[in-house]
Amino acid sequence: MTSIAAASGHAHHAEAHERSFVRKYIFSTDHKIIGIQFLLMSLLFLFVGGLLAMLIRWQQGFPNEPVPGGGVLPETMAPGGILLPEFYNSLVTMHGTFMVFFAIMPLLVGVFGNYLIPLKIGAPDMAFPRLNMWSFWIAVPAGLLMLAGFFVEGGHAGAGWTSYAPLSAVAEYSGVSAGQKIWLLSIAILGLASILGATNYITTVVNLRAPGMTWFRLPLSIWALFITAILVLLAIPILSGAAIMLFFDQTIGTHFFDATGGGQPLLWQHLFWYFGHPEVYILILPAMGMVSDIVANGSRKPVFGYHSMVYAIIAIAFLGWIVWGHHMFQSGMNPTLGTGFMISTLLIAVPSAIKVFNWMGTMWEGNLRFHVPMLHAIAFVTMFVIGGLSGIFMASTPVDIYIHDTYFIVAHIHYVLFGGSLFAIFGAVTFWYPKMFGRLMNPFWGKVHWLLTFVFFNLTFFPMHSLGVYGHMRRIYDPTQYEFLRPLMGLNRFITVSALLLFAAQIIFVVNFIWGWFRGRKAGDNPWEDNGLEWTVPSPPAHGNFATVPTVHHGPYEFSAPGVSEDYLPQNHPPVRLGAGKEER
Amino acid sequence: MTHAAVMGAPADRELGAGVYNEKLGIWVFLGSEVMFFTALIGSYIILRFANPGAFALPGTVLNIPVTAINTFLLICSSVTMVKAFAAANMGDMAKMKRYLVATTLIGAAFVGVQAYEYTHLIHLGFLPSGIREGSELAELALAGELGLGSADPAVAGIYGSSFYTMTGFHGFHVTCGVVCMAYVTIKAYRGKYTQADHRGIEVVGLYWHFVDLVWIILFTIVYLV
Amino acid sequence: MTEHEEHFAHPNYWLVWAGLAVLTLVELGVAFLPWSRALVVFTLVVLAVWKALMVALYFMHLRFEKNRMRIFAIAPLPLAVIIVIAVMTEFVW
Repeated sequence: MTSIAAASGHAHHAEAHERSFVRKYIFSTDHKIIGIQFLLMSLLFLFVGGLLAMLIRWQQGFPNEPVPGGGVLPETMAPGGILLPEFYNSLVTMHGTFMVFFAIMPLLVGVFGNYLIPLKIGAPDMAFPRLNMWSFWIAVPAGLLMLAGFFVEGGHAGAGWTSYAPLSAVAEYSGVSAGQKIWLLSIAILGLASILGATNYITTVVNLRAPGMTWFRLPLSIWALFITAILVLLAIPILSGAAIMLFFDQTIGTHFFDATGGGQPLLWQHLFWYFGHPEVYILILPAMGMVSDIVANGSRKPVFGYHSMVYAIIAIAFLGWIVWGHHMFQSGMNPTLGTGFMISTLLIAVPSAIKVFNWMGTMWEGNLRFHVPMLHAIAFVTMFVIGGLSGIFMASTPVDIYIHDTYFIVAHIHYVLFGGSLFAIFGAVTFWYPKMFGRLMNPFWGKVHWLLTFVFFNLTFFPMHSLGVYGHMRRIYDPTQYEFLRPLMGLNRFITVSALLLFAAQIIFVVNFIWGWFRGRKAGDNPWEDNGLEWTVPSPPAHGNFATVPTVHHGPYEFSAPGVSEDYLPQNHPPVRLGAGKEER
Repeated sequence: MTHAAVMGAPADRELGAGVYNEKLGIWVFLGSEVMFFTALIGSYIILRFANPGAFALPGTVLNIPVTAINTFLLICSSVTMVKAFAAANMGDMAKMKRYLVATTLIGAAFVGVQAYEYTHLIHLGFLPSGIREGSELAELALAGELGLGSADPAVAGIYGSSFYTMTGFHGFHVTCGVVCMAYVTIKAYRGKYTQADHRGIEVVGLYWHFVDLVWIILFTIVYLV
Repeated sequence: MTEHEEHFAHPNYWLVWAGLAVLTLVELGVAFLPWSRALVVFTLVVLAVWKALMVALYFMHLRFEKNRMRIFAIAPLPLAVIIVIAVMTEFVW
């Protein structure tokens, strides 16, 4: 917290304080507990998002047929188990909303930002532990509010997770009134939690690094989380402002996005995507950072091109601010502006490609260990390449004219967010699980889960590229209403079945997660033989993390270093002397 | 603890921003506030650029003299704030307390004047949705006195929208600032700040100056332009 | 116990206050001059930015802070400019 506290000795903090159960586990200010709180919350919302996806896929595969078990749904959503079109709109909206805002973002930033940053930089906790607690406890009501939106009159918001005006601004157009307001309020509240969190992360990484932990000795996971926090800090407030303006349009009669009142509907799209594009980099950069850590560990080699990896992260974050218009090529915006966005979007492929080549270079001739996190990391790299390649098509405006708002876009999104971020999350959870809980998840079932997920993921989402190119648009209730789409129904059904199997396969992960908590093999301090500072303390670490302030002598990826008997070298290990009296870097 | 130990960067850590955590934290947070006001003020600039006829001539709807005095008040409160900080720095705790009280009172006065302005404008017929039909302002609009692009008062929809949203959220930020200022002032009178450690004063001060800075921009581009 | 950080230099705050007061009065004057609209707006914006800079540099101490600190203050500004200019081009051609 303050430098006085830090200076007065961590031994004091390392002892167990006599705190009540509530102060220790509910309203905790310990970053590790808060990270686990975010983990449990986010996994719940991941499940909710997945459930919504199953309903979506049912409708696409078997339109207007009753959903199995749909009897539990109320008449306002699915009379006789048949989904109503309005309910379908809210399903696609809320699937996107829960997955982006309440699952992936908190999983990457809330969980791993919180858990890893202080430990991996050698700090006792975040710079502002109480603010950290507030971040979590502000996010929770935001999530509950978003869930509540399903049960209000008019149903939940149905204008897409992107909430375009004027559909979202005028209740008469969509039939949704309270639901959309709830959506906006929930997003605004969550935004506050995110901004406070970002402030904490940035201050912590800048000011609380242990002696010797220079910027270029930071693990890439921390670099990525740090840059991501800057994106969160600067992008989320744009969304907050826009959401407030939209909320006022709906409630007190302002006309920001209302053409009849002198407003500009396109202004919403510009503001939303000015936030939205940095947002998607928020959703991928931490994943990339953690994958770098895991790939280095699984290859027993330093990350290839560590410095260029850092510059690539910075370049992606930088360029990410000037590409937002590629979401709007079909909006009727200024075409000259559009050309500018096409160029910047094609450019941003370069740093991403550099990262892919560097992951490959890390693995090349490495002493490969295919542990479960490594399998997920490799899946990340390969699936991200596919997602990135489809991105190249979309970046080109003439091509995007044809594929915008089709399933090609849906394929791209899911290749980068599921194939990318979610695989990285599975890998990261498995990797840091032993540190969090002191026990390991079962590796065999981890591999089974990985394989089934990988196979069914590709069977679900790869065919969507074809659907999109064929002309199947997204967010439509019934594809069979268009004659030219009817031949695609076989493919739609195939995708639906694959998706159901994909969802079912996640049960293995859930069981493994819960089982490991109670019956997993005890982990010890460093089960993966890794170099990070977190592996130099017990699993789980005590409150205050380090008994004494660590001193860092090495970079983060000293695997298979010459002159070292082990094939790894923790960052705080005393300097190693090589034969001729030269010191290890 | 020595002044340097507390009011400087964390001693046992790698070189960071060179300032203590709370100060870095508030600057970082202010970055997010810049982006928040960018969304609101930027939208106003864009909407005005796109549709200049929707906005009235300066002084015809909004009260410039009163707001100019209010602007001056806010600037004064910024001076008293920084003088409070300087006093703490120099070890003059009595002076610091007096300046803190002054800042709190002037800040509260600003909010009061803004609130009064709002009630007056609403009474005149200037709403977030634009100019109220049949109001005093509507008649002026119809008579062409406001310099709007069209005689129809409904054209001024986005004028009301942007005015109330920008100044409203600014006012909300000032109000939060006044609350924090009161809290800090009470803490000061309880003797919680010393020459060695007055971080709270500096942190609240930075927030306060930022809020003043935003108003300087707002006053010009909303009231005078 | 009277050690001071060298960077806590305190300029004459009353002088800054006087400058701000004068600039505000100038603004009030300029707003009602019979110049072309573009010139009036430009001048007012310049004056407003000047006042804002004075608050940032002197009251918020940026004039005396290290560059490492100043980066945090400056970083969001280009982003603010980008979105406004970009969307304004929607209405230019």
